[in-house]
Amino acid sequence: MKLHRLPITARVPLTVTIFMIAVSIFTSERVLSRLIETQTRQIQALADVYLDGLSLALVDSMVREDVWQVFDVLDRSQHRPGEIRPTETIVAGADGFVIASSDPVRIPSQIRVPANFTQPIAQTGKVAIEEDAQRAYVRRDVLYENQPVGSIYAALDIAPLLAERRHVLWTLILTNMALTVVLAGAAWFIVGRMMRPVRTLTGYLERSHDGQVDPIPDHVVALASRDYQRPFEAFNRLATAVAEREALGAKLAEEERLASLGRLASGMAHEINNPLGGLFNAIDTLKRHGADVNTRSTTLDLVERGLKGIRDVVRAALMSYRSERDERQLSRDDIEDLKLLISPEANRRDVLLQWRNELAGEVALPASTVRQIILNLALNACQATPRGAWATVSLAESADALVLQVEDAGSGIPPTGVAMLTGTADRPAPIGRGTGLGLWMTNRLVRELDGNVSVGKGAGGGTLVTISFPTRQKVELGHVA
Amino acid sequence: MTSVYTDRRRVLLGLGSAAGLASWGARRARAASTPLRFALTPVLLTSDLVMLEELKAYLARATERPVQLVTRRTYQEITALLVTRQVDAAWICGYPFVAFREELALVAVPVWKGQPLYQSYLIGRMDLKADSLADLAGTVHAFSDPDSNSGYLVTSAALAEMGRSPSRFFRQFFYTYGHRNVVRAVSSGLAASGSVDGYVYEVLREAEPELVARTRIIRKSELLGFPPIACAAADAASAAISRLREALVNMPGDIDGRRVLGMLRLDGFSVEKPELFDGIAAKMKLVRGAGE
Repeated sequence: MKLHRLPITARVPLTVTIFMIAVSIFTSERVLSRLIETQTRQIQALADVYLDGLSLALVDSMVREDVWQVFDVLDRSQHRPGEIRPTETIVAGADGFVIASSDPVRIPSQIRVPANFTQPIAQTGKVAIEEDAQRAYVRRDVLYENQPVGSIYAALDIAPLLAERRHVLWTLILTNMALTVVLAGAAWFIVGRMMRPVRTLTGYLERSHDGQVDPIPDHVVALASRDYQRPFEAFNRLATAVAEREALGAKLAEEERLASLGRLASGMAHEINNPLGGLFNAIDTLKRHGADVNTRSTTLDLVERGLKGIRDVVRAALMSYRSERDERQLSRDDIEDLKLLISPEANRRDVLLQWRNELAGEVALPASTVRQIILNLALNACQATPRGAWATVSLAESADALVLQVEDAGSGIPPTGVAMLTGTADRPAPIGRGTGLGLWMTNRLVRELDGNVSVGKGAGGGTLVTISFPTRQKVELGHVA
Repeated sequence: MTSVYTDRRRVLLGLGSAAGLASWGARRARAASTPLRFALTPVLLTSDLVMLEELKAYLARATERPVQLVTRRTYQEITALLVTRQVDAAWICGYPFVAFREELALVAVPVWKGQPLYQSYLIGRMDLKADSLADLAGTVHAFSDPDSNSGYLVTSAALAEMGRSPSRFFRQFFYTYGHRNVVRAVSSGLAASGSVDGYVYEVLREAEPELVARTRIIRKSELLGFPPIACAAADAASAAISRLREALVNMPGDIDGRRVLGMLRLDGFSVEKPELFDGIAAKMKLVRGAGE
């Protein structure tokens, strides 16, 4: 029996029904047994009156064994009105033979008293009730001057009493059934009403699973009973807190992006600064030896290369910064651009960066999102990898997915970081520095693209993060961006 | 069914109370003021109390004497009262009349269906397979009264002709002390057959058809003298008896008398000779000769 699994709106009416049935059975049993006792006493009393009258009227005739007189008395007494009517009455002599009966055709004189009259009474002594036959059997021994002169046996028709008993039983059953139905219905209705706020709360809690925690409107809270106003208000406070946290998380994520850009910018400044020295040297050379054609063309090549390098770096930075509004599809060049952005940071940290870009052309994925993911992971890898060790970023294309692998030579990321990255800890944005905000951001971006993250151990003992993005065109790019 | 209370005086007279006699006696001779004691056997429908009151009232008016009706359970008691002159007259059966032929005299004989004669019926239950008295051997029989002609003597005489007696012929027999009771006993099945007054049976057929419906007539006797009104032989010539005879014979000419006769289903009363009962006397001889 899984009663406790049933909803409370079914459980309470069911309990009420079971309870009512139990009460009905108990009360019906009590009422009926009392009724049976009362009726038995009533039968006994009526039978006593009947037999008293008969024995007074019959005693002389019984002494004389006067067949006619006995029959005459029986015949007259047979037609008495009342609740119980004698159906057959037998008067027997002391020898147990019938003197006369009220129905001489069936029970003639001078036979033994039939067993169906003598047996039931022999067992009970007083009144014997046979419900199937709707008969009660009684017996009275008649004495004359203290000598037994015979016995009077009577079968009484107790059909009216049994009918009354049935009537009472049916009344009880129908009344109890009606009461049970009414009470179970009332229980269902009342519990349903009582559970309504719980359903409301459950509905709001279920909706929060989709990421949106809406507060319960004030008019709903106002309508709820006092018992439920407190949980409703508590839920609303929670919803407000969650919303605030979400906003804060988004703001922090933006700051983090800007911060990483800042870090990149310092690397870039360094990158720009390096060719600048060469360029100034080249300008000095041109000033001094500009007349010489060979020197001039060599120097101008040098200047051009330096300026190209600066232009590439600046373009890459611009791309990253502009990416919010960028809805282009990912191309091979986007990945190469990233290498330019990350290389300075890697150089600064003396990390050897291995960059494998196997992308041939364009992929049906939004460029900016994928770039942000690669940027975050690559910067993390550079951070985790000790000086002079290798960090690897590889991007491969399969039939229906783009697979990104980032491996570092670090000492591994803590379990909380793994949880944050894979999204197994479905929780709001961590607030504060160094709490894995970057990983959390990465996870959200991967989810946007229906990607799948797994974290494992690399060949070099470091961390290997593998992300696969489905490239099937099932999601509209515009929607995702 | 006019009430007996229509004439208060008549009722008072009928009751024959001392108070009633006192006022009556002031105007009448002492002899005439003593009530006429009239006994009835259960040959009649004694349950019909209204009829008894009407009869009493009529007789009181016609004889100009208060009348005291006397009823007893058995024929024997009535016969004893009459023979010992404790009653002035009695409606008895033909059998006691012939039995006490010397002590009794006829007052009048009822006329039924135009003649002072009736029959005894041997009746059985509707489903009883019997066509004659002989078929009833070994069954239970209901007699009316041991002193009744129709309710005992006729059947006993028939048995005596066969050389049998009731106690040997029947498995069991009993007396019901009333012709109506014989019909009840047979109708209910208490007895398989019964001996009953043909007159009573015919009256019952009209009055209580449902009681008679379960019975049928097996044998009717020859016509015999109807149960007469008799008096002690010593009183036969008295004025009181003459007045009573007159009152009975004149009944059809009186409106109250006709009503009583209507209730009794009788035509009237006639004066008959004792030889009317010779048939009964012969049966008595036969039974007595056979010996029990």
